[in-house]
Amino acid sequence: MGFLITTLIFLVVGIIASLCVRICCNRGPSTNLLHLTLVITATICCWMMWAIVYIAQMNPLIVPILSETE
Amino acid sequence: MGESRGGGCCPPMDLMRSETMQLVQLIVPMESAHLTVSYLGDLGLVQFKDLNSEKSPFQRTYAAQIKRCGEMARKIRFFKDQMSKAEVLPKELLEKESDIDLDDVEVKLGELEAELVEINANNDKLQRSYNELMEYKLVLQKAGEFFSSAHRSATAQQREIESEDSQQAGDDLLESPLLQEEKSVDSSKQVKLGFLTGLVPREKSMVFERILFRATRGNIFIRQTVIEEPVIDPSSGEKAEKNVFIVFYSGERAKSKILKICEAFGANRYPFSEDLGKQAQMITEVSGRLSELKTTIDAGLGHRNVLLQTIGDKFELWNLKVRKEKAIYHTLNMLSLDVTKKCLVAEGWSPVFASNEIQDALQRAAVDSNSQVGSIFQVLRTKESPPTYFRTNKFTSAIQEIVDAYGVAKYQEANPGVFTIVTFPFLFAVMFGDWGHGICILLATMYLILREKKLASQKLGDIMEMAFGGRYVILMMSLFSIYTGLIYNEFFSIPYPLFAPSAYDCRDASCSEATTIGLIKVRDTYPFGLDPVWHGTRSELPFLNSLKMKMSILLGVSQMNLGIIMSYFNARFFKSSVNIWFQFIPQMIFLNSLFGYLSVLIIIKWCTGSQADLYHVMIYMFLSPTDELGENQLFPHQKTVQLVLLFLALVSVPCMLLPKPFILKKQHEARHQGQSYAPLDETDESLHVETTGGSHGHEEFEFSEIFVHQLIHTIEFVLGAVSNTASYLRLWALSLAHSELSSVFYEKVLLLAWGYNNVFILIIGILVFIFATVGVLLVMETLSAFLHALRLHWVEFQNKFYEGDGYKFAPFTFIFTANEDE
Repeated sequence: MGFLITTLIFLVVGIIASLCVRICCNRGPSTNLLHLTLVITATICCWMMWAIVYIAQMNPLIVPILSETE
Repeated sequence: MGESRGGGCCPPMDLMRSETMQLVQLIVPMESAHLTVSYLGDLGLVQFKDLNSEKSPFQRTYAAQIKRCGEMARKIRFFKDQMSKAEVLPKELLEKESDIDLDDVEVKLGELEAELVEINANNDKLQRSYNELMEYKLVLQKAGEFFSSAHRSATAQQREIESEDSQQAGDDLLESPLLQEEKSVDSSKQVKLGFLTGLVPREKSMVFERILFRATRGNIFIRQTVIEEPVIDPSSGEKAEKNVFIVFYSGERAKSKILKICEAFGANRYPFSEDLGKQAQMITEVSGRLSELKTTIDAGLGHRNVLLQTIGDKFELWNLKVRKEKAIYHTLNMLSLDVTKKCLVAEGWSPVFASNEIQDALQRAAVDSNSQVGSIFQVLRTKESPPTYFRTNKFTSAIQEIVDAYGVAKYQEANPGVFTIVTFPFLFAVMFGDWGHGICILLATMYLILREKKLASQKLGDIMEMAFGGRYVILMMSLFSIYTGLIYNEFFSIPYPLFAPSAYDCRDASCSEATTIGLIKVRDTYPFGLDPVWHGTRSELPFLNSLKMKMSILLGVSQMNLGIIMSYFNARFFKSSVNIWFQFIPQMIFLNSLFGYLSVLIIIKWCTGSQADLYHVMIYMFLSPTDELGENQLFPHQKTVQLVLLFLALVSVPCMLLPKPFILKKQHEARHQGQSYAPLDETDESLHVETTGGSHGHEEFEFSEIFVHQLIHTIEFVLGAVSNTASYLRLWALSLAHSELSSVFYEKVLLLAWGYNNVFILIIGILVFIFATVGVLLVMETLSAFLHALRLHWVEFQNKFYEGDGYKFAPFTFIFTANEDE
């Protein structure tokens, strides 16, 4: 559940970012396409990293074993 | 990661492929040639081809003009030298200074140079006389002391002897002073003593004395005194320690020997008279002349400085003009002379979008030079490969340079720079991951960016120059580092539960087993990033290592897939279907059936929490694929799926290797069968076939060469699939190193210092922590992660699709770098 919600959040943030970039620097179709590509790539990279770390902790095989002093 | 569009559906993306270039031919009449080249230089969009490459520099048309410019450049360098010696700064160049004529400049430079040289020569002469007079004065003073002291002691002794004489007459006269002896000796046998005075350098003084002694067989008397302050030597102009000497000799032969020895030792001699009155007179005369000379020299220096100031005012203007003219004449030399000798023909590469601007410039030049005929602009068709030109702004130029450092893109092939803008900082951040360090780097680079205008005009050192040039890349790197730092949950290695409480808790109320069996997961997964409980636990490393290694594999497989997809876009752009069917598809199948499958297994294992051993699964997929999987089963029918994938991978290898050379051979035969009857369904270049000046040799097709090339490519890909995937594990390795270093500095320096409860030790601890963090983590680790992220791009990403054997577009332009010195 938390996974899907956060993925949706990433999607929405990505869409908002592309719209912002389109609004503030609108410089012709080919440049717009470049900006869109960059924003999409950045969003996908960030999402992948978050998703990997999240999924790895969903069903852990190793649990934290505190060290003696704590 | 495969969401790139391009090609038919949408407009072509900026920066993805090189601008379309065309070979243009300009025919300019002689009288407007100079102005045309000048305007084209201002435009900066034409790269001229050297049409006179067989001629030596002396045979070219404008060799004389270049020599003229070279002379003027030499004079300008001379002025710059003189100005820096006199510490006069040239005035800064304003934007739009009026245009000046080259001939005027030449005349002016000549005049000023002659004047400056004359002033310098005069100054040198005066300075030399001044130094000689200074030495003479010293000689007069010191030698005068000799004589006066000798005179005093002689008169003292004379009085003594007289008193002695009056006491004892007829005593032994062996100890009589020289004066006594002289009186009683026969005047005809009187020896005439001459003397020489002068200065000798101190380090040679002992040797000087000894050699004089030996040369004259001991028949001289020499005395030396030290001069306390160093004296400026007239011939060398430098300060030297000297002694004043006075040599008494008898006879002409001795005199000539002494003179020669003085010359050999560089000892300057000055005349000196015995007479006391004359000595005083000489001293006052010399002092007077010295003060006169000083005023003259000062006046001379003042005059020179005024001259240098006037030069300094116009210096930058002249400098720029001369360099511009030199560049123009070099370019004019590259144009070839038409048969009628009335116009020049230029050939060059220029982007297609610049055609109008170029034609504009040509027209303006024709009008401004009052020529009767306009210039002609025409596009040539050629088979040569054009240069590659990307239009970059200050943000993208740094990344483009990084990509170009490996190899400039072939004309119109896909530019990896487009994705590198994002993936390079991202991979850097995966290896750097600490949001505290990220903030530090962000602050540093914001400083560079906010002071952009000011720093751009200054001359920075080498390292600062590189950091300044890459400021936008570093900005991206720091932003992504903050993000990955939040995910790894490290702030100078301290984790914080920023988004929710930790998901783990004790098994029971007493927490008795926390250090033996460990905690359990009681709440939902920590929503953003790594759970903060992990830091400092005993099982931290096994968990984190497993996580980061798997993450590296997943990221690596994604990036390699992106690379192969880029090769698909290249194949589609160059309309090479053989590349699509027999290179792209087998490569995708091979990589994904092995490492794509591994990635899927990783994700399934994580999602289901199974305890399957993935190493075992992968290795036995190859060694004994028909064996039962037992407890390593992650999903139903896994064995069948694995067999199918293995089969696909094995089949795809000969698919990569064999068909392409045969198909290329058939295409080549079809193309050269009848002269132009076979349809061309593959062209490697997008430019047409005709020719003007370019050489178009008969296309050779060596089947064995093509086959070997394909074999190497296949082997490289197959072996590279394994090695490149493993290479991505450096993402794990560097990230581990960074977090361990950071943790060590925090615990073993800061916490240790804190534990002593002593302010002094705490301050030292903080200082050591700051220096260690900045030096090791912010500088060294940054460079290290930068380098490894770069390598991952250059090798693992780019060898899937990039050829990089083009050449860069180098237009003729007047924007000179500061160090350019021709």
